[in-house]
Amino acid sequence: MTDISSSNALENPMEPGAQPRLLRILTILTVLGFAATLILGLFVAGTDIQQGEVQRIFYIHMPSFFGAFTAFGATVVGGILYLARRSETWDQIALAGVEVGLAFALINLLTGAVWARPIWNTWWTWDPRLTSAAIMCLTYAAYLMLRAGIEDPNRRRAFMSVYGIFAFVSVLITLFIIRIVPETIHPVIVGASPQNAQGGFEATSGVVLALVPSLLLWLTLMPITLIWHRVRLEIRLEALSLQKIRALNE
Amino acid sequence: MNTTLRLALLLALLSGAIVSSQDDENKLAYFQTAAFNAPVLSGWEDQSRDQVAQFQQPAAAATIRTALADADGPIAAAEAELSSWLGVEVGQPVYQGKVNLADGTWSVLIYDIDATSTASIMTRRAEGQFVVISFLERDPAARTVMLAVARDEAAREDAGAEVAYAVAALNAADFSALDAGAVVELPSGEWATYSRERQLAMGMVFGNDSFIALQEGEIGDLETLADAWNRTLLGFFVTPDNRIYLALGLFVVFVILGTLVFSFRWRARGIQKDLALLDELARVDE
Repeated sequence: MTDISSSNALENPMEPGAQPRLLRILTILTVLGFAATLILGLFVAGTDIQQGEVQRIFYIHMPSFFGAFTAFGATVVGGILYLARRSETWDQIALAGVEVGLAFALINLLTGAVWARPIWNTWWTWDPRLTSAAIMCLTYAAYLMLRAGIEDPNRRRAFMSVYGIFAFVSVLITLFIIRIVPETIHPVIVGASPQNAQGGFEATSGVVLALVPSLLLWLTLMPITLIWHRVRLEIRLEALSLQKIRALNE
Repeated sequence: MNTTLRLALLLALLSGAIVSSQDDENKLAYFQTAAFNAPVLSGWEDQSRDQVAQFQQPAAAATIRTALADADGPIAAAEAELSSWLGVEVGQPVYQGKVNLADGTWSVLIYDIDATSTASIMTRRAEGQFVVISFLERDPAARTVMLAVARDEAAREDAGAEVAYAVAALNAADFSALDAGAVVELPSGEWATYSRERQLAMGMVFGNDSFIALQEGEIGDLETLADAWNRTLLGFFVTPDNRIYLALGLFVVFVILGTLVFSFRWRARGIQKDLALLDELARVDE
């Protein structure tokens, strides 16, 4: 556990070159993995003859949701462990999870809208899954706004831990809503699509070849690497705040 | 559930999707060209090549072919296609009409090529060219034609009126002399049948149109021919060119990820600047 009030912790995180070796390796793997999955999705997987080239968005659209799932999951874990142990690091992980998860959720939402335009002939429709995904994004955007509005650090951390845990309900609703509500046009890839689904496609071997690596990348490497970078940034930000307070007190 | 178990479950689900998709691939076979996709007719001899989808039923001396033609109109396109395919110059069509299907307006043309050959053609404009789908029969013992007719009364449930119209237009026969037969269930849909000696008519209602198959002479397996023709017509589609939306989607991904990563760097740089300022202030104080 990093004690940011110690002088060592202050010095190390402030050093731009003090990136842990494992993080450097993860960063390189993430960048290479992202490039490789783009190549698989854009050039190796075959073109969907019904939907055309736009179907390739799916290789980012679906994995980005699961990336958000991992990141928001980190927020839940961070929140629970902060409440249990009152260690700032867990709160920093929770915050980093929200920021990274929200970016991934926005990618999921916007790539879905871009895909929907040529396939559903509309950018947006108030379909249960689309609506729940939008609510999920707003829920986590509200997390960041609320966090900025609470001055007392301990109260802020405790409140946001609880919020982060309950906000995950919106992720679960988004994940399972098309299994519960049959009145959806959103296709399902694994398992049977709902009766009203429009724009679904078959998971052929080419699709799986491009999808599985992308899914694994977005599920693990991307959120972990980005959360780690964001946590380091937060440690430095909090350490800077401490230094400012010290300077003012002196 | 630990991570390994979760990943194993995910891979199992995806491999299940592969297995089920392979079954589906067998059901949905298409002959693909750069310009169009035509369903492969199982049980028919596949003579497709390059940019031409062609399937033949030797027993019925029938061929269904999908190809592109450069022309400035539907009749010119049909003539160009028959000329390049059969090497014949055809005269005026014995029947011409139009139907509106989901993918556009199709011209329906029927040509009596010679005493034993009849070509039924549907054609529409596609990306500056014409797609021409032809049904050619060369059975000396029977004349078979396929056509689609716009329905005049959408409320009716059968294709009787359109069959009567087609029979009159093509065979000059009295439709009232045909006896209504059984309704036949085919993969392409429900077909009503009307017949008399040496004459069989089939009709299927499809939205605002009716599809008609007529045969006169020695009656053969019209059901198979009509079903194959309709599966070709309704299964035919052009892959949409929507690369611009793919580019837009990728742009969105790079903008959001770029903004996130840039914000990390920008904030880190801000920290460095603040630190430098704090150091500067400390030095001034000293």
